[in-house]
Amino acid sequence: MSRVIFLFREAMVSLRRNLLVVFGAILAVFISLSLAFGALVVNEILRVNTLAWQEGVHVIAFLNDAGANGVPADAHDSLLSEVRAWDEVEDAFYVDKSKAWIEYLEIFKDQPELLEIDPSILPASIRIELKDIEFHSSVQFRLDQNALLVRQVSTAAESIEQLQNLSSILNVLGLGMAVVLGLSAMVLIANTIRLAIYARRDEVSIMKLVGASNWFIRVPFLLEGMIEGLVGAALAVFAVWLGTNNLARAGQDFSLFRLDVSDQFFFQWGLVFLLFGAAAGVLGSLLGLSRYLRDADDEGQNVPQGV
Amino acid sequence: MIRLENVTKVYEGGTVAANDVSLDIQKGEFVFLVGASGSGKSTLIRLMLRDEPVTRGKIWVAGKDITTLPKWKIPYLRRSVGTVFQDYKLLPNKTVHENVAFALEVLGRPQSVIGPQVEQVLDLVGLEDKAGRYPRQLSGGEQQRVSVARSFVNRPPIMLCDEPTGNLDPRTSVGIMKLLDRINRTGTTIVMATHDHAIVDAMKRRVVGLEGGRVTRDEESGRYERAIVSEEEE
Repeated sequence: MSRVIFLFREAMVSLRRNLLVVFGAILAVFISLSLAFGALVVNEILRVNTLAWQEGVHVIAFLNDAGANGVPADAHDSLLSEVRAWDEVEDAFYVDKSKAWIEYLEIFKDQPELLEIDPSILPASIRIELKDIEFHSSVQFRLDQNALLVRQVSTAAESIEQLQNLSSILNVLGLGMAVVLGLSAMVLIANTIRLAIYARRDEVSIMKLVGASNWFIRVPFLLEGMIEGLVGAALAVFAVWLGTNNLARAGQDFSLFRLDVSDQFFFQWGLVFLLFGAAAGVLGSLLGLSRYLRDADDEGQNVPQGV
Repeated sequence: MIRLENVTKVYEGGTVAANDVSLDIQKGEFVFLVGASGSGKSTLIRLMLRDEPVTRGKIWVAGKDITTLPKWKIPYLRRSVGTVFQDYKLLPNKTVHENVAFALEVLGRPQSVIGPQVEQVLDLVGLEDKAGRYPRQLSGGEQQRVSVARSFVNRPPIMLCDEPTGNLDPRTSVGIMKLLDRINRTGTTIVMATHDHAIVDAMKRRVVGLEGGRVTRDEESGRYERAIVSEEEE
């Protein structure tokens, strides 16, 4: 335990002594992880909104009235059973004319002039949730084949698909950005550690002289890198959380688009980013140390002073 | 305690720093390595510390062949060998107490052991009242005392000293030598490279003379001057 405290204290002393360089490394991690985390949050906002907009209903088939114009009385039930049996369909439910009227009243409650219509003109419909949004065109095609019963097929799936594509692009971009910026942060940390070792090279040689193992020498530098990575990542997570929360508050009245992201999302992904930051710090330190300790291990072959 | 068998060290570029050196140093001995600059004194010290590998030959320290020692075991060797150098090699950002304690921290000793042990050794070297000072706040002699305290704090069986009085005035040098003599009397083997005539003559201990990397003389209760005279006669 005392050894752990000692090594931790050594790391803290080193951090304090190289404040400016340490600040640079933390800033690098902060910027790169903020961008990556920000991209992830935007992606989550898109995902949440995509779901919220459709509430699981991807296709609506408006039906002609049963028992009239040649449409059999049980046609609605038959079609519902048929649709439910399709492979592309996750779920489907029936909305009759009376429920359609209730829905209509709810939607247009603020526009009384639109409420003066004959409720019987509202069609019954089948609301369909797809297993995958990609299936929307094939389902629409199949419904269109039943022209006698199906009055109109309405779908927001194309928009959703476009949003999902955008979301996928953002995913790839976010991931790519996280990798590239994460790597650059790691290189910066490696550089910081290399500078720290260079500043302490006499100290390190004295450590070796009194019998410190390579790991004993390494650990404070690894801790130093880990702390830099952790602090940078923590700041990034906090900054994005703060930014998103403020944005959500500012956009509260903007009913078309939800800007809030759940705390659970922030907690889970924040943890991942903290771990990533710490790992990047440790890897960066190892990178910075590798060359130095390799050189230190290659015992002197050149003539030293005072032969 | 230390045995060198036909040890040769050739640096890149062909400089021969040790040439077929054989030595046997017994437990509790105090041995001076003397000779002009470039004679190979410091190289021998470094070879015994495995700071450098030998080109040929074998070195045993405390019964172990250190020429075949894997790199990862070198720190363990160094923990059983105290070292004192001309330039003190103290950590500038640590206090006297921390510098001495560092040798024990490396060994993983608990604080309950480190504290009393450091105080004891600082008392031995006469620096108990300067434990909180930094090296820059001490005189050369005091810094060298800290270095001796650090090398002796874990009671190593062997101490290797490379010109420990090289930067000190004669009076301070005597103080350091008294300290090393006292440590030697506890049974610690001491090998000391020096070209301080007065000290070698005063101590009357074993003297190994070196020239061009070769042992030219090995005398019990030797003197520095005689070593030079005999080298000149050869």
